[in-house]
Amino acid sequence: MSESLHFAEHTLQEMALVFMGIVYILRVRWFLSFKAGKERQAATGSSNTTPKKGILYSWVNIAMPWAMESTRSKPFMYIQFIIFHLGVVAAIGHSFIVPYAKGLAASANYVLILQIFTGAAFLVGVLRLIRRFGDKYMRAISTPDDYFSLILLTVWFFCAFLAAPHNLVDGETVELTFFWMTAFFLIYVPFSKISHYLYYPFTRFYFGKSMGHRGVYPMQRGK
Amino acid sequence: MATKDRSYKAEKVIERLGKKLNRQVVGSLVGCVHCGMCTEACHYVLANPGDPTFAPAYKGDQLRKLFKRHYDWTGRVFPWWVKAKSVHTDEELEELKDIIFGKCTNCRRCSINCPMGVDLATFNRMARGLLVSVGIMPEGVAVVSKDQWEIGNQMGVLKEDYLETLEWMEEELQSEFEDDPSMTIPVDKEDADVVYSINPREVKYDPRTIADAAKIFNLAGENWTMPSEGWDMTNFGLFSGDDDLGGSVARRLYEKVIDLRGKKLVISECGHGYRSTRCEGPNWGQMDVPFVMESSVITMLNYIKEGRIKVDKTVNNESVTFHDSCNNARSCGLFEEPRELLNLVVTDFREMYPNRSENYCCTGGGGAMSMSEYTPHRLKSGKVKAEQLKATGAKYVVTSCHNCVDGLTDLIRHYKLDMKVTQLVNLVSEALVLPEKKVTIPEAAEAGLLAGKKILVVDDEPDIRIFFTSVFEDNGATVFEAADGDEAIEMARKEKPDLITLDLNMPGKDGGQVFEFLRKDDELSEVPVCIVTGRPELRRLIYDRPVRPPEGYLDKPVDEETLIRNSRKILELA
Repeated sequence: MSESLHFAEHTLQEMALVFMGIVYILRVRWFLSFKAGKERQAATGSSNTTPKKGILYSWVNIAMPWAMESTRSKPFMYIQFIIFHLGVVAAIGHSFIVPYAKGLAASANYVLILQIFTGAAFLVGVLRLIRRFGDKYMRAISTPDDYFSLILLTVWFFCAFLAAPHNLVDGETVELTFFWMTAFFLIYVPFSKISHYLYYPFTRFYFGKSMGHRGVYPMQRGK
Repeated sequence: MATKDRSYKAEKVIERLGKKLNRQVVGSLVGCVHCGMCTEACHYVLANPGDPTFAPAYKGDQLRKLFKRHYDWTGRVFPWWVKAKSVHTDEELEELKDIIFGKCTNCRRCSINCPMGVDLATFNRMARGLLVSVGIMPEGVAVVSKDQWEIGNQMGVLKEDYLETLEWMEEELQSEFEDDPSMTIPVDKEDADVVYSINPREVKYDPRTIADAAKIFNLAGENWTMPSEGWDMTNFGLFSGDDDLGGSVARRLYEKVIDLRGKKLVISECGHGYRSTRCEGPNWGQMDVPFVMESSVITMLNYIKEGRIKVDKTVNNESVTFHDSCNNARSCGLFEEPRELLNLVVTDFREMYPNRSENYCCTGGGGAMSMSEYTPHRLKSGKVKAEQLKATGAKYVVTSCHNCVDGLTDLIRHYKLDMKVTQLVNLVSEALVLPEKKVTIPEAAEAGLLAGKKILVVDDEPDIRIFFTSVFEDNGATVFEAADGDEAIEMARKEKPDLITLDLNMPGKDGGQVFEFLRKDDELSEVPVCIVTGRPELRRLIYDRPVRPPEGYLDKPVDEETLIRNSRKILELA
């Protein structure tokens, strides 16, 4: 392994992670600097709905495609969502496994699973790009950041797919690209829409708390 | 102070945005990933295919870009990258107004369909409040807010008119229940178990619901009262986004209940009234409310369950469906009780799909009924609701909300559906099993109730004229008809009627112009006028005229009983 690849796998990643961590801490501090609105009203709705249940339901809502009409009525979109995010987890995982668990990274099964996840996520990324560029509604709401973030991730999935075998015999270009992209990704994320997962627990917490207090969450659907 | 490149109002909006931000709102502003999953949750989108400006995420972005430009770091440094943008002119604020007031009813359907938990309705309301704070709002919102600030209720009902209506309804009740001293509408009774608050629309356009509620309270043996002031449980602060108005109205109501030492505040059937009074009011008013608050739906249901009133559901044997008000179902969890009650008082209840928290807006919410400039949008976006209603095949749609009553009535007329709108209180009242001694006046006795009276019916719809004429003639009146404004004036001058029923929306001289003319005419100014309209939002046109208000209002469709009762009341025969 060359010095530059070693640097990209270790030092660069660590620096990027520390940077991301610091920015995230600042970001959470900024978010928490806003006051949480106080609710004075007595609970409404069924006694089966409470703020606690509402929060829990709100947090796991995304894992229950039947819970929301928007996901229930678009199963293909939901599957895409799952594949895309599994791809993210797989590619990030790979950036840790290569430097810190090389034995596992060398396993044929590992390579196969990683390539399935990242390959599928790449295809979903392409589909999402087509939707974002081609759909009138999506174009109307998209920002340069939305396009760039999606392109970035789609290309990154492709790099992860190619880098999965970790074959250095034919050169290090693929690995170097993957790790430099990962580092860029980590640095860029806090400033982009990709940081949505940082806010997700908070947004869902407050929405779930309110809806639970008001008897709406957990949702009841009519037969 | 305005800066060089920004108007005073734009400056204030930006400044006040910062003060309004809380964690919930910021979460919704930063949390949107523009995934587009909310798009088809919105009835405006479904009814306006191909127009992305109706998409919830697009609408949300109109405030989001302002937030990003001034309060979010990426937007401050690289505004073009995240489409962050400030506002500079009053014209831009006017454009924002048309989106947040005219393209969204704050129904919250997109909120419950957002994977990220972005609550567009909440920050759309906040955006409304920002614009209202600098005086930018639809005219109807300004007028209604002014009435609620100054007169104490959102329809500008004067105290004497309110009390007079209660007396009138009490007389109606007593004429129905001969010699029964318990059939009263007590006002300002102290230490009552129930203080009943209503929507001013009931006083103005639908007093029958007050009488129906009174009948139910009295038959249940309730120790109840209605307040002489602070009786309006509606709250335009919810629609205008003005928390100060919201808090003031809510406190007015709470303080009156405390004054009367009431134990429970019962809120009549009204979605936004229930949400404002029961849920948001304590927050806006910064007040911990020391008594119980409950929807009249729950009160009526409990009376039946406890055996305090008895009902016979076979009386209501027409097919009935239920429309969930957004504020009741999606913001207060009130959706099972109305169904339970309905099943006790009707024989043929048919569910509408989707329903409960997933129901579509009636399109009259969010104050839309008071914003006549957006009526075409509203009616067009009602296509989704109209299809929902039609699919049930029901003859009646029941709703526990007065805005929904008006919104649905408009849609039914616009989409020519064979359906009527009613409320639970009316159905419960119909289904009441009365104690034997309490007998109603035989119908025959009602014949000749308008004997000797001359009535001019003004309406451009022949069917309405025929119906009104036959009802009035059957009751002994002499009737004249006019099909447009000019004919109405000519006929009024010629016949000097005792009462004029006047349609508002007519070709040529409209009802508003005719009304003002009549009021200003020396010979005709004292002739009582009853406005009969199918477009409730037009009533405002009457109120804005610099003349004495009309003696009565009726919403189309009008049934025979309502027409006679109201006409008698206006003619002071009741």
